[in-house]
Amino acid sequence: MKSLFRGSFAAALLAAAVPGVAGAQTATVKIGQIEAQTGPNAIYGYMSSQGVPIAVDEINKAGGFKVGDTTYKLELMALDTRGDPKEATIQLKKLLEQDKVKFVFGPFLSNVFVTVFPYAKQFNGKFLMMGGGTRIHEFVGQPGNEFVIRTWNWDAGPKGFGEKMVDYLVKTANPKKVAMLFQNDSGGKILGDIYEPIFKARGIETMTEYFEPGTKDFSPVLAKIAGFKPDYLFPGYSDAALYDIVRQSVEGNYSKKFFLVRGSTGPGLKNKDGLEDYIVYVPKDFEEAEKKEPKVKHFIDAYKAFYKRDFPYDQAPLCSSSCYDHVYMLVEAMKKAGTVDDVEKIRKTLLSMTYQGMWKISFDERSEQIFNFDIVHLRKGGTKEVVHVEP
Amino acid sequence: MTQVVVGQILNGIILGSLYGIIALGVTMTFGITGIVNFALGQFMMIGAYATWYFTDLAMFPFPVAVALAVVISAVAGLVADQALFRFTRNNLVNGLLVSIGLISVTESVALLLFTTTPKNMDTVIAGSWTLGAITLPRMKVVAFLMLAAVIGLTWLGLSRAWLGRATRAYAQNPEAAMLMGVPTKLLQTGVVVYSCAIAGFGGALYACLFSLEPTLGGLFILKGVESAILAGVGNLLGALAGGVILGVTESVGSLYLPSAFRDAYGLVFLVAILLFRPAGLFGGQK
Amino acid sequence: MKALWFLIPLYLLPLVVKSDTMLTVLIFTFLLSILAVGFNIVFGGAGQLTMFHAAAFGIGSYATFLSMLHFGLPFWLGYLVAVVVVVLVSIVIGWICFKFRLKEFYFAVVTMAFAELCRLIALNWTSVTNGTLGMLVLEKPTLWLPRSGIVKIEQTAAWYFLTLVSLTVVLAFSALLMRSWIGRNFSAIRLNEDLAQTLGIDTFRYKLLAFTISNVIASFAGALYGFYTGFIEPSYLSVTQSLDAIAMVLLGGVSTILGPVVGSMVLTSLPHLIELPAELRVAVYGMILILVILLMPRGIVGLAAGLLKRRAHAS
Repeated sequence: MKSLFRGSFAAALLAAAVPGVAGAQTATVKIGQIEAQTGPNAIYGYMSSQGVPIAVDEINKAGGFKVGDTTYKLELMALDTRGDPKEATIQLKKLLEQDKVKFVFGPFLSNVFVTVFPYAKQFNGKFLMMGGGTRIHEFVGQPGNEFVIRTWNWDAGPKGFGEKMVDYLVKTANPKKVAMLFQNDSGGKILGDIYEPIFKARGIETMTEYFEPGTKDFSPVLAKIAGFKPDYLFPGYSDAALYDIVRQSVEGNYSKKFFLVRGSTGPGLKNKDGLEDYIVYVPKDFEEAEKKEPKVKHFIDAYKAFYKRDFPYDQAPLCSSSCYDHVYMLVEAMKKAGTVDDVEKIRKTLLSMTYQGMWKISFDERSEQIFNFDIVHLRKGGTKEVVHVEP
Repeated sequence: MTQVVVGQILNGIILGSLYGIIALGVTMTFGITGIVNFALGQFMMIGAYATWYFTDLAMFPFPVAVALAVVISAVAGLVADQALFRFTRNNLVNGLLVSIGLISVTESVALLLFTTTPKNMDTVIAGSWTLGAITLPRMKVVAFLMLAAVIGLTWLGLSRAWLGRATRAYAQNPEAAMLMGVPTKLLQTGVVVYSCAIAGFGGALYACLFSLEPTLGGLFILKGVESAILAGVGNLLGALAGGVILGVTESVGSLYLPSAFRDAYGLVFLVAILLFRPAGLFGGQK
Repeated sequence: MKALWFLIPLYLLPLVVKSDTMLTVLIFTFLLSILAVGFNIVFGGAGQLTMFHAAAFGIGSYATFLSMLHFGLPFWLGYLVAVVVVVLVSIVIGWICFKFRLKEFYFAVVTMAFAELCRLIALNWTSVTNGTLGMLVLEKPTLWLPRSGIVKIEQTAAWYFLTLVSLTVVLAFSALLMRSWIGRNFSAIRLNEDLAQTLGIDTFRYKLLAFTISNVIASFAGALYGFYTGFIEPSYLSVTQSLDAIAMVLLGGVSTILGPVVGSMVLTSLPHLIELPAELRVAVYGMILILVILLMPRGIVGLAAGLLKRRAHAS
């Protein structure tokens, strides 16, 4: 314990000394991140907090970026909310008031966003919050809420990826009945509310069941769903549950056709011999993209070098890679706007530009992100077809 | 519909055997050391990750991986006993808190080593047996048989072998057993280590059935404790029965009622049993 | 009552500490202290290991907000409705548990089962509680203050004093209660229930009283907590929340007046003073718990009191 304190003390001294040593023309831009890196709902937050440090490290190692005459480096303050609203409140206060951070990434968890929202709103115009949480959709783009930008595309609407996914499903399989099986939490409930009307609009009958977070044995609920005789099972929404649902559904002979908009190809590939059809939304099919797109290849190599471990292909590294892009996108917006302090100017630049990273990212009129994505279609035995969608 | 119900009863029995193996550990530890080892779920997690690691990454044959997983859980149990549980014997609340501390520490180590990304072990036994409309995955059936065998053998060992009789004697009357030459300290350590080892074995089979996350222990310890109480603490075969009853209640319950309430069905049952048979379903009247 | 003097520095703290973040950390510390003080009455006082306090905490926040929403009541009247609900729930559950003579481990498990049932109701009774989506609370409590009239509690400083005064009142109440004949009867039950019964103490009634008082205090913490955070969700009623409060009491010192506050300081404030990587923070929490329980079985306050007493004897 003692050495730990001594270590952090030395680090603090060092940090205090560094700006004095550096030249007058360099400065730092602080970026904060509040995500659940640990705890039971950490899967998306953990992935996001993996992507940002890689980009920050790259930008700093390349000597930072130039706005006007000054060269800036990035300083990342990533805090772990554990999904606890109490922690998130304290951490956001720390970032905004103590560290004077103007750019905050996160949160992916809706309950965390809803809790910090009234507080964050007081800082409207003074900082930017770039989060992916589903419930941010309710707040984004409204007068007084300019501080928040939703860094994920929305399921419904003319450019919504959910609509495009369902269109693809109708085109290829023309199902009459779809059963939805979501986790009983805010993310899951919202998915149900979004997709019931989308299916209904196309004349597809639906059934929705919810399971308790932490469920491992799904066979009772799968048996119940099998009574409805669905053409497709639409389970959600993180791989922690999907591996178990897909496997148990295939092994138990309940349903062998799957349609997913949150999750990865992993559960499908793992059960490729038992299933009949597996249609999944992935922001990018990394195995294929690695061969064709240099930016993707670069990201995968950077990931391996930074964390000294294998790249998790099966886990659809969607959040780590998209958050990596977001850092670069923010830096580009700062450069274009010619400022690192004028939050309003940076926000306007960000919303009006199209960023070309691993994705082509732009924003709709509600400040929600639009980007191109892939549909991976697995068939029995693992034959794979990838469809690129450009909304 | 009857076939669906029968299928879910069978599924509940299988799932219940996983609760049962933890319940057995809970029951034994409580009887001999006077504490409830709430960290038993963590030893299950250790066993599960070890099995996954040795089969999928180190490419060992499955039985070897299971044996290694059990040994690792047992050694971890020994360390935990000597460093922690030794000091909390017969102190329920301190034992509870030390267990919670241990849960945090092991969860943290698992996070550092394996991250929150779920792991999914390659299939060990593929395929299912089908009987009419009832489909049972082979792995689930095998897991049940192995778990039931371990619980049965433990019961046999405890009722026949000297060590087992000594253990039971101690649980019933510690002072008399000590006078009869039962080595108390050794016995207590032995029981803690054994319960951790079987929890690790449960974890090995868990890894063959479900995906792994660092938090997996939490769910199973609660169910294990519920099962142990349901059957009556101190009853070894009852631990399996308690687990099975809980598993069946949940499986059949979520068939007819909303599955989001799954955890409630077992709890209501548990409260009712405790109120009307305080010694548990299979416990003698106190 | 002497213990309350230790709170005085906290009243003066905002003069020195201007950091809003630090005050926020302390507000949460005070709120969770109140919850822990409640638990200390039923466990440290009457020796009953309840696991229901998180449920009472959650019911406190839900009932207060819902009665404000549906009956248009101000915060304090809304909280009165919550008190009525919590008292009724406590009497029913306590009556069942104590009538059937559940003790120690069994009492803990049955109260935990009831708490889980309450959480599942909050989670799935969507039309009333909004289920997993939780409820956004934009109203704030109001107070009547001399000279300024009715004020809304909005600013961090205002919340700081509201929660600190609440904690002081709850602590004073618990100190007085413990010293009264009621508290002595609680202690008798904790030390030897059979003997207490023989001596003519109606153990059933006193255990029920301790259980109810502790739940009402927990609901008070919950009501304030929900309105301070501005968001109420079913996880307020979770087992983890109960265990955290138990850990605070044991860490600070069971059956001591200040113990719950000290424990809450260590577990709520300390992690924000030391910056650690996410994974390590969980481990450090566990290590603190283990070390304190093993090295100071009577908790921090218990140990300090013991040392002071020994020094007094030596001189």
